Amino acid sequence: MIVGEQKPFEEIWEMIKGHKRLTVFGCNTCVAVCHQGGNKEAGILASLLRMRATQEGVDIEIVDSGIERQCEHEFFDQARDLLEKSEAVLSLACGIGVQFVATKYHSTPVYPALNTTFLGDVIAVGHFTEKCQACGDCVLGITGGVCPVSRCCKRLMNGPCGGSSNGKCEISKDLDCAWQLIIDRLEALGKLDDYEKIPPLKNWSKDRAGGPRSFKLEGI
Amino acid sequence: MIPDGEKTLERQGPEMLYEIPSDWDANIVAFACHYCAFAAADLAGVMRLSYAPNVKIVRLPCTGKLDHIYVLRAFERGIDGVFVAG
Repeated sequence: MIVGEQKPFEEIWEMIKGHKRLTVFGCNTCVAVCHQGGNKEAGILASLLRMRATQEGVDIEIVDSGIERQCEHEFFDQARDLLEKSEAVLSLACGIGVQFVATKYHSTPVYPALNTTFLGDVIAVGHFTEKCQACGDCVLGITGGVCPVSRCCKRLMNGPCGGSSNGKCEISKDLDCAWQLIIDRLEALGKLDDYEKIPPLKNWSKDRAGGPRSFKLEGI
Repeated sequence: MIPDGEKTLERQGPEMLYEIPSDWDANIVAFACHYCAFAAADLAGVMRLSYAPNVKIVRLPCTGKLDHIYVLRAFERGIDGVFVAG
């Protein structure tokens, strides 16, 4: 899922304080899982902004709302009236949702309440870690299910560097060396011989190097 | 929240600093668990014990039901303090 972190409250306040009618708009899928941008968080943020507006003596009508996903047209139906009447929208979605709202409501200012941080998993309650960089040419089949693109700091494709020590990366003693994990996993699978094989060159043209990517289903 | 859902009351702003009157009492809302703290408050009533009238009790099925937004809404509507017991 997409993980995001809420921006500092002051930064959000500075963005929106000039408006008169603001909708704080949650996105109840990915960023709700990390408790940063769901409809519940939209309610909390709207309440904090209303109190701040009261303290500052600024007259802003702030309402909160939200939908299940801000990256698909269908989900916007239930909030159409509210968004059309809004002078500005503070979106708690990831960067995709913010852009989607901005495209949909061309003349309405849309502000991001979150910094979109990474594609990750939930390794423990409240603990999210990066696991994918959407490079477009997945190598997990030959790396034992451990991604060197997202989990090796140098994105190395040919084994650990000299900074790997006792299974940890040189940038932090808390960070596992991805290539150590790959070797351990290949060993557990009885496929350590595969480590010696030289894989074909990775196709980086499918990464961002080829510009913004798109994908269209045929026949729809 | 659902679209066009609940709205809070009109705000009275900006907030101004002023002298606190001598007869002022803090307006407190108490969120109490049905099974312990609320039962204690109930027992106090049965025993005809008096307690401060500026504390308003809201019964929750469990204090685990307390939500951020309950506390924030209380403050938005002018409550001076929130007391959670459970």
